[in-house]
Amino acid sequence: MRRCGWPCYQGFPPHGQRGVRASPDLYLSNNNKNLCFPPNCSFLLFVPSCRLLEADSKSMRSMSGSRRNSGSSLVSSSSASSNLSHLEEDTWILWGRIVNEWEEWRRKKDKLLKELIRKGIPHHFRAIVWQLLGNATDMPVKNQYSELLKMSSPCEKLIRRDIARTYPEHEFFKGQDSLGQEVLFNVMKAYSLVDREVGYCQGSAFIVGLLLMQMPEEEAFCVFVRLMQEYRLRELFKPSMAELGLCIYQFEYLLQEQLPELNVHFRSQSFHTSMYASSWFLTLFLTFLPLPVATRIFDIFMYEGLEIIFRVGLAILQYNQTDLIQLDMEGMSQHFQKVIPHQFDSCTDKLILRAYQVKYNPKRMKKLEKEYTTIKNKEMEEQIEIKRLRTENRLLKQRIETLEKGQVTRAQEAEENYVIKRELAVVRQKCNAANESLEKAQDNIRELQQQKYTEQFVSNLQNQLEQSKLREAELQGALKEMQDKVLDLEKRSTCLPDENNMAALQEEVKQMKLRELETLHSFKEMQDSVTDTTGGGGGHWKESPKKNAMNELQDKLMTVRLREAQAQAELREVKLKALQLESQNQIHSKLIGRNDQERSALQDRLQMLSNQNKGLQAQLNEMKRKQSESDCKSKEEVMAVRLREADSMAAMAELRQRIADLEIQKEEGLIQGQLNHSDSRQYINELRDQIAELKNEVRRTHQAAAVHDETALPFTTPLFSSTLPTCLSFFFFSRQRFSK
Amino acid sequence: MEAIWLYQFRLIVIGDSTVGKSCLIRRFTEGRFAQVSDPTVGVDFFSRLVEIEPGKRVKLQIWDTAGQERFRSITRAYYRNSVGGLLLFDITNRRSFQNVHDWLEEARSHVQPHSIVFLLVGHKCDLEAQRQVTRQEAEKLAGAYGMRYVETSARDAINVEHAFTELTRDIFALVRSGDITIQEGWEGVKSGFVPNVVHSSEEVTKSDRRCLC
Repeated sequence: MRRCGWPCYQGFPPHGQRGVRASPDLYLSNNNKNLCFPPNCSFLLFVPSCRLLEADSKSMRSMSGSRRNSGSSLVSSSSASSNLSHLEEDTWILWGRIVNEWEEWRRKKDKLLKELIRKGIPHHFRAIVWQLLGNATDMPVKNQYSELLKMSSPCEKLIRRDIARTYPEHEFFKGQDSLGQEVLFNVMKAYSLVDREVGYCQGSAFIVGLLLMQMPEEEAFCVFVRLMQEYRLRELFKPSMAELGLCIYQFEYLLQEQLPELNVHFRSQSFHTSMYASSWFLTLFLTFLPLPVATRIFDIFMYEGLEIIFRVGLAILQYNQTDLIQLDMEGMSQHFQKVIPHQFDSCTDKLILRAYQVKYNPKRMKKLEKEYTTIKNKEMEEQIEIKRLRTENRLLKQRIETLEKGQVTRAQEAEENYVIKRELAVVRQKCNAANESLEKAQDNIRELQQQKYTEQFVSNLQNQLEQSKLREAELQGALKEMQDKVLDLEKRSTCLPDENNMAALQEEVKQMKLRELETLHSFKEMQDSVTDTTGGGGGHWKESPKKNAMNELQDKLMTVRLREAQAQAELREVKLKALQLESQNQIHSKLIGRNDQERSALQDRLQMLSNQNKGLQAQLNEMKRKQSESDCKSKEEVMAVRLREADSMAAMAELRQRIADLEIQKEEGLIQGQLNHSDSRQYINELRDQIAELKNEVRRTHQAAAVHDETALPFTTPLFSSTLPTCLSFFFFSRQRFSK
Repeated sequence: MEAIWLYQFRLIVIGDSTVGKSCLIRRFTEGRFAQVSDPTVGVDFFSRLVEIEPGKRVKLQIWDTAGQERFRSITRAYYRNSVGGLLLFDITNRRSFQNVHDWLEEARSHVQPHSIVFLLVGHKCDLEAQRQVTRQEAEKLAGAYGMRYVETSARDAINVEHAFTELTRDIFALVRSGDITIQEGWEGVKSGFVPNVVHSSEEVTKSDRRCLC
């Protein structure tokens, strides 16, 4: 017997095994080792039992209540008849050989293997062949399986709820406590623990369910792990479901390339690919087509991967093209839901054949993958950009709000400014008025000062006047003296021929002159006489005329002196007047000069004051501006602080909400634990009660025995012995169970 | 030949996994209740006519979505073209009620610039003994979000028709008042007085849409 690496039964499976459950599953989950098919006729003897099983499985065909015909037979269509044809027997022998010589077939006869797989793996070989195809025979994770079952997974609740909905019409999975549901739960839970990133995804249960229909849970688990890891399924089921998007993208490309009319029609009706094709990729047609057809596709999938899904999908569309083109979106949905699933029930080979007529270029697919990733990256960037723009928008809106508020304050400030300006104008007016009054006051002061000056001047003038008056008085005195003299002289002169009588005087003068002449004559005569006489002595005569002439000259001198004195006095008077006028002039001009000086000084002061005023006003404005600026700044700061506060409060609210959620979860957990605890406690209490009762019984029986001697014991002890152990074992068992 | 209808509204049904979306829809569109059925993988599509007033018929196209969170990348694409939505939670499952907020956020963020009219539905109301969410709480939440609240049971056929017709009436009123308008390229609302005849592909002039996945 060739070794195929598996533990072998020396004989055939015991006859009773297949009758234990009405299930096609040969391998029950009580850890049976996998069967190995020895390549001799003992294998053929095995066939009848399989045939019986087929008959059994046919009897499980239930009417469809759900969308899919899931209750149908698992048997491949080729062996629908109860009598196996020779061809089938040959196939089985062939497959037996393939399984035994797997490595060789895989390496050297792979083309033939491919063809055989396409024709369909015989039902009862599926378990083994799928494991071989998936390379799931010697996996280390298998050993972890039992450990994994003991752990608890975060996805348990989710899985529990979906288990009841997976293959609900199928016998194996029907019913809440069915074995099928339990093993399905186990495998899903184990996988969710092994691959925490994917966890549990709805839809994957169908694949596992299919595996469990063929093999025990550990093997199904291993195959499933392989499927997820090696066949791109993991990427499909990840939370991001990015691979699904890629598959849809690639499928659409094929649709566009090979069924352009249909593609156009789909687009015109807004019938998107994801509407019908999502489940194809996620569940590998297990929810879309009846199990026999889907299982055939699954066979090929195990060997060739996701490519077959594309091919079959396109074949389906191509087959239904003419029907679909005539329908609107609703009609097409109905068509997909009701008509298509049953189109290939009787002619699965046709579907496979058509699938292989579809053009599929792996290189193209790779290219599309790259295209798709770039598109997705762009979309993500756009999303990020949109998010960024949205937050910017939000911030800008907030800023606008604050600015609008700022505008309001600024309007208020403008109003205040206006009021201030008005006040300033009023103040200016007041200032001007004050200036004017100041000027007036200063004028008054000046005037008063002038008066002071004039007073001094007046007093000076008065002094001068007094002095001049004194002088005048003196002069007048002198004048009077002169006049007196003049009077005296006049008096004297009145003795003398009157002045007025100039003619008289002249006559007198003439007379005098005559006299003089006479005198002279006489003189001369005398002289002559004298001379004659002798010359001698007549001088006296001369003196007397001279004396008259001298008197006359003296008189003339006196008058002239008088006139001179008068003239001098007049002159002095005039000079005095002139001096007075000059001095007055000087004084006035000095006054004018001083007034001018004072005026200029006051003007300077006025200018200075006005400059100071301007300076002060400018300072005032500046101060006001600075104040408004600082006000704005402080308001801005307040707004920023408020925004930060709001953000932190929002974050706090979020955190609080999270905390609330977590607390709720914790409480739920606690309550559950309490419930469990209370349950177990209740249970333990019940059991304790029971034990107490039993003990009472024991006591009673002992008493009874004491009363009834030996005759009672044989009757009671059996009772006692039968009930107590079971109760105790029950008690211990339950204790064990609740201690977990 | 289809019946003549005034409008066609596209609705989307969202909510946590196993709250009963598929059941509710099937009860409404096919009149039956299945105790167990397959979980929705991706999206499913159903339709039915409702008569909101005598003589006024509206056709409803209903999208049934997968509830598990990772399927949101597929279901997101369907929000934009929906005019109305039923937001389901299970009254015996507190978690599903708490997640209503997330679902609403999800829908609102992906439906822009349009908006969806929602109806909050507390499902499985026949399981009164296992109730974990009170009616008052749910009504309060619905009021806060500005939507109606209805408690339904697909199993006992309680309020199923009522829920859908109420939502349809609300949307109808908004369409009539002009708050919701028919737009080119938006599938949420379509008007029609003629039977829905499909043209051949040569007459199709709509441009290609980009991939929605």
